[in-house]
Amino acid sequence: MGIVIAVISGKGGVGKTTATANIGLGIALNQKKCVVVDFDIGQRNLDMILGLENRVVYDLVQVMDGEASIKQAIIKSKVSDNLHFLAASQTKDKSVLSSEKVKALVEGLQEEYEYVILDSPAGIESGFEHTIEFADTAIVVVNPEVSSIRDADRAIGILDAKSQKVKDGEEVRKFLIVNRISAEMVQKGEMLNSEDILDILNIKLLGKVPEDKGVIDASNQGKPIILDKKSMAGEAYARIAGRICGQDIAIKDIEHPHTGVFKKLTGMFK
Amino acid sequence: MFGWLNKKESASIAKDRLTIAIMSDRDNLAEFPFMDELKNEIMEVVKKYVGVKTVEIKKEIEGEIEALSIEIELDKNSRR
Repeated sequence: MGIVIAVISGKGGVGKTTATANIGLGIALNQKKCVVVDFDIGQRNLDMILGLENRVVYDLVQVMDGEASIKQAIIKSKVSDNLHFLAASQTKDKSVLSSEKVKALVEGLQEEYEYVILDSPAGIESGFEHTIEFADTAIVVVNPEVSSIRDADRAIGILDAKSQKVKDGEEVRKFLIVNRISAEMVQKGEMLNSEDILDILNIKLLGKVPEDKGVIDASNQGKPIILDKKSMAGEAYARIAGRICGQDIAIKDIEHPHTGVFKKLTGMFK
Repeated sequence: MFGWLNKKESASIAKDRLTIAIMSDRDNLAEFPFMDELKNEIMEVVKKYVGVKTVEIKKEIEGEIEALSIEIELDKNSRR
């Protein structure tokens, strides 16, 4: 059975979909079979970031309603055979989701893939709840900025309340990605550093991603930034994907890039 | 250059403010874990009679009195 990972944020616009695309592709580049699913019904975007928007025929609502099979709806990535994609519906709204349908879909995907990555909608409405309900692990994406962090805390609260794993007396694992870090601002004391954010949210760190103009350039072209091996953000996502795949990769201190301090992080996903 | 002597760094102000705001958010969630269900049920009841867009519930405290204020936004497009 594959691992189900929900990528969540609370607030929109923090780079959640970009994170999902890069994590999915990064896992696939580690030779693991991975499917990324866009759960943002009505606001389909992951297809654009992955450069697959012209290949969408069936969406996940049609799969859940039995109008198409998973096989028919799955789109294969152009850059890695291991990465598959399931698009959100653009025409319907979030109210079409139900627990039973989501459960059946997620279980179907778990049989086929080692990693099932769900890109959740922003906010904490029903669409979000359905995305986290059957997840084993949640990856929370924040920007080092007060509104993003506060909304993330609310999303984590709902995750803890609504997760099926929690209801079954187990624990849903939670990891944080701090996205769009400006080292210069952190050093001047004008931006929260990752350790402070971890303290406030009481959550484990999965990775730090620097602010990188290349991300917009990458999404313009539909080529996730992880493919640009020289980019700062691409390198950060490659490290994150490696950690998810169970490799010991130290957290790089991008907030103080010149001091060369590395922190040890041992196989959190093992 | 010596600005830090008389000006507190904004990142540390952010940390203090967030810590307090989040503690209060968590208290509210802990006190009313049923809030979402309550909202949905109110929505269902009102929907029987008139179209509803959103239901907001807030806790208000004035002196000795604690109250829940319920704000229901109607959906103009679905009058029955």
